[in-house]
Amino acid sequence: MKKEYQINQLQINSLGIIDFLLASSRPIFSVIMAFLVSGVIILIQGINPIDAFSAIIRGAFGNIGSIANTCVRATPLLIGALGMTLGIRGGIFNVGAEGQLYIGAAAATTVGLLPLPVPSWLHITLSLIAGILGGSLFAVLPAFLKAYRGISEIVVTIMLNFVGIYFVSYLIHEPNLIGKADASYAQSRDILPSAALPVLIKGTSLHFGIIIAVVLALILFSVLKYSRFGYRTRMVGANPEAAHYVGVNVKRSIFTTFLMVGGFSGLMGAVEILGFKHSIFDYFSGGLGYDTVAVSLLGGVNPLGVIVSAFFFGSLRAGGNLMQQTVGVSTYMVQVIQALVVLFIVGIGFMKPRIRKQKSTTLQPIETNNLEG
Amino acid sequence: MLQMKGITKNYPSVIANDKISFDVKIGEIHALLGENGAGKSTLMNVLYGLQNLDNGEIFINGQQIHISSPKVAADAGIGMVHQHFMLVENMTALENVMLGLHQAKPPLLDIKGTREKFNSIVEKYGLVVDPDLPVWQLSVGEQQWLEIIKLLFRDVKLLILDEPTAVLTPAEAHQLFTTLRFLISEGRSIVFITHKLDEVQEIADRITVLRDGKLVGTLNKEEASSFQLSTMMVGRSVTLERRPRPIITEKSPVVVIEDLQCKNERGLTALKSINLTMYSGEILGVAGVDGNGQRELAECITGLHLPTHGKINILGKLVSKVVDDSSLLGFIPEDRHRTGLILDFTVYENLVMRTYKDPPFDWHGKTNWGKVKTFAKELIKRYDIRTPTEIVLVNTLSGGNQQKVVVARETNGQPSVVIASQPTRGLDLGAIETLHELLIKERNRGAAVMFISTELSEVMALSDRIIVMFNGEIMGEMDGENANVLHVGEMMMGHRIEN
Amino acid sequence: MLVGAFTGVAIALITKNFALAVIGAIVAGGLLSLIFAYLAVSRRGDQMVTGFGVNLLATGLTLVLLPYLNAIRTRTVLFPVIDAGFLKDIPLLGPMIFDQSIGVWMALILTPMSMWVLYKTTWGLSLRAVGENSKAVATAGLSVIKLRYIGVLLGGLFAGLGGAFLALNNIGFFVANMTQSRGFIVLAALVVGKWNPLYFGIACILFGAADALQLRAQAFGSVLPYQVYLMLPYLLTIAALAGLVGRTQAPKEYAKPYDPTQA
Repeated sequence: MKKEYQINQLQINSLGIIDFLLASSRPIFSVIMAFLVSGVIILIQGINPIDAFSAIIRGAFGNIGSIANTCVRATPLLIGALGMTLGIRGGIFNVGAEGQLYIGAAAATTVGLLPLPVPSWLHITLSLIAGILGGSLFAVLPAFLKAYRGISEIVVTIMLNFVGIYFVSYLIHEPNLIGKADASYAQSRDILPSAALPVLIKGTSLHFGIIIAVVLALILFSVLKYSRFGYRTRMVGANPEAAHYVGVNVKRSIFTTFLMVGGFSGLMGAVEILGFKHSIFDYFSGGLGYDTVAVSLLGGVNPLGVIVSAFFFGSLRAGGNLMQQTVGVSTYMVQVIQALVVLFIVGIGFMKPRIRKQKSTTLQPIETNNLEG
Repeated sequence: MLQMKGITKNYPSVIANDKISFDVKIGEIHALLGENGAGKSTLMNVLYGLQNLDNGEIFINGQQIHISSPKVAADAGIGMVHQHFMLVENMTALENVMLGLHQAKPPLLDIKGTREKFNSIVEKYGLVVDPDLPVWQLSVGEQQWLEIIKLLFRDVKLLILDEPTAVLTPAEAHQLFTTLRFLISEGRSIVFITHKLDEVQEIADRITVLRDGKLVGTLNKEEASSFQLSTMMVGRSVTLERRPRPIITEKSPVVVIEDLQCKNERGLTALKSINLTMYSGEILGVAGVDGNGQRELAECITGLHLPTHGKINILGKLVSKVVDDSSLLGFIPEDRHRTGLILDFTVYENLVMRTYKDPPFDWHGKTNWGKVKTFAKELIKRYDIRTPTEIVLVNTLSGGNQQKVVVARETNGQPSVVIASQPTRGLDLGAIETLHELLIKERNRGAAVMFISTELSEVMALSDRIIVMFNGEIMGEMDGENANVLHVGEMMMGHRIEN
Repeated sequence: MLVGAFTGVAIALITKNFALAVIGAIVAGGLLSLIFAYLAVSRRGDQMVTGFGVNLLATGLTLVLLPYLNAIRTRTVLFPVIDAGFLKDIPLLGPMIFDQSIGVWMALILTPMSMWVLYKTTWGLSLRAVGENSKAVATAGLSVIKLRYIGVLLGGLFAGLGGAFLALNNIGFFVANMTQSRGFIVLAALVVGKWNPLYFGIACILFGAADALQLRAQAFGSVLPYQVYLMLPYLLTIAALAGLVGRTQAPKEYAKPYDPTQA
């Protein structure tokens, strides 16, 4: 019988650099299509899309300041999307990054506000750890419900996003907690300078977070590819039943992976505060947590691919402002482009290899639908 | 009434039907015989409009017809009972019948009228099904009857039955045959797909044999001997004969099961007080119709399923969680796609699923993929897994080779116990033979082997000792050399026979 | 829902015609659902990711277009209240039952209606079956793809209507992200309502009560910070899911793509 053999190197399931390059033609096509469609939407608004897109490019790469800005925007996206990637690889679709990042940011801010008698690097480290722990802690409930009760994480994490956002809103409204007294609008007090991430290039906003993010990507890449933990996690994500049959404790794996995913989201919030925003205010993230899904998918659910896609989305965010200022297209157009990228990736079938193997571990999954739209 | 000429159907990688011609007369039962993958189901799916043909012509009562969808087939009077029942489990029998059926006053459901007709069909054909029970509460036999009732509602002239006896007890199969004879006496025609020779000879008027997607020939019942049919089926004369094996006298108990009870996923009793000992150097065959507790028994021994009562000891150690020691137990689960393999992983990744955490593959949490690949190459050679390299995805291998990957993974650690749960399901005869040889090898090495199968002939061919399970109980036990097929068959239906 | 709300407000502002606004909202919800249907049914895309993408698109589009909407500075038309005459004056029950807008009545009528369609008509039977065992439906000579498209489309139409109600029942304008993930609460209500329209309706009333309590508590002031009340509907959703999942049965092929080539 004639059979066509697929070599693993060509599958998105694999994790190599060459694999990524080979597999990247479809994401690139998705991006092009997304730009075409959004170009039409811009055209309908009576604006020349070429002006709009060139404004984005100038805003993202026009000078050293804008490049720095792109990197600053890419940093939290990259960290969060790494968590998303780990989650998808391990069988978890965490839509709760938004809430986890708020809690992580609040935890990091709390520690960052403490006048600790320690050197700055330690203060930063402690604040970052607080962020990670905060994010993980906020993932405990959905992790437990998914791993041990078979309840889909999707609805639970989306609901928790609101809980997290309102909880942080409460914290910053209270001067007794982390709120800033006499603020014109509710926000937390600024973190102490000793807790702020150092700026890499003077005169720009480029901060140390980008290094953390890229290093984490490389670490996650090798962990997934070369470690016992990574292999086990991928087994659970690819076929939980088969993993269970060879003796893997699937429930525990899902639980711990979920906490780590939450940790990534928490770190994302912490880095955003300690490196860039320096204080929390209501809706400070602007939906960063939700963007991680698109970033991870466009990056082929591969940590190396995610670096590229995070910079791509970072440049959109950075350039979006200039687009609004110069040609008057709303910055939210960036979100439309992101959505279109996701939909084109689905439409082209880039995600197909993952569909049939994502079977629920125990009970009926509750999955997202288009009700919200 | 039906003629199919030069039917050709290509799949991307294989020709499933190659210029096959096939015809059915009014009032006959025409058996379609062939191994798994010979193209029987494809041919019938084409006829039923589930798949479009690439080439060929179909005539019904002399008129050419283009069957583009099941609806066209149904309008032409063709109906099909699929191997996997096309029933909606959470709906009642009556609702299943009404699905897609023209109603008296559309769009309203004519529940009353349908129920009356349902009951009259039940009476006329003796197919007893309660119309108001949800399908999941019906026995497998009743579900089969319901499928036939659905066809009779549509007054189907040609019934296609795809492996209808695979899930039936001998008694139910007997009743099915009676019903089928009644149906042809009414002037209906039947295509009976099967790979079982004895059934063909019992029920068919004519027999068509397919092999590798090609037509081998059509015979009348009188001119077909079982030797001839089996030769046509496999291209060489092979029947499952009892496998020769060295006599092992030194036997020691390896697995001791005492008063084992457990419940299934639905919370119903699956095993009732099982007492059983497995010995080294012995293949213990477990016969029985599917779903009589065999799966739960296997999963209890492997620690995947926890008993509600009783205990299992392997070499004196109590099983309390999943046994992941690859030198103690190897498990070939019944569904290799769902539970045996990770289809989107490579061959080498699948081969190390058991031992990834042990040296030399693991070094302080880091996996040495180089060593894994070397190990995989060795297993590919040792178990004769047909694959170009170890880095192809396992889902590109044939079924038999996929199963060899599972066997290689589960037995290379020389486990004391090997549990094989329906390991040959869906494999062709050649692959079945290879698998039997591998299990005999394990037995000769001194492992305690459990071979669970619903194919009685396989159990008879392979086992040193046979137990029969029915309704969560062991109905009886006998020596493999001298077992009587009729006795085993009786026990499969739930009769106890004392030897 | 979001797009429905947006379109509803937009048309209401422009045309001042209530019926046109509601129809527009429904159509918009339907159109969006067709994108989902194409990707999830025809392309067999992952439904989680597709749903996520469609939601993201809806949010983005409404935000991009919001400034245009805000530029129209006129009053809009609202869902009319049905005047039940003297019935309204019955103490307690009067204002509760007989002083409701047409939207509330629509919801109350649609619930038993969908129940009737699902359980008493051929089409309802087919639709229920296609969620359980699509192959059985295909072999019965019905089109799985068509049924699923219609199912998704109806879902979109209903969601659009829901959006129109949200925006036009008494607020009369569109707020960014005004649905506040109510679409997902609906999913939880489905689970709590055991996938049955009638129980589902009751579950929705419960969730609605939590939402109303939140508003009242804010208005009256209380010892607890107002954010606690804001969280309430979401916490209730999680609690409902945690408490009830496993005891209810979702349709078997829920969120699974249909692939006719798979034998």
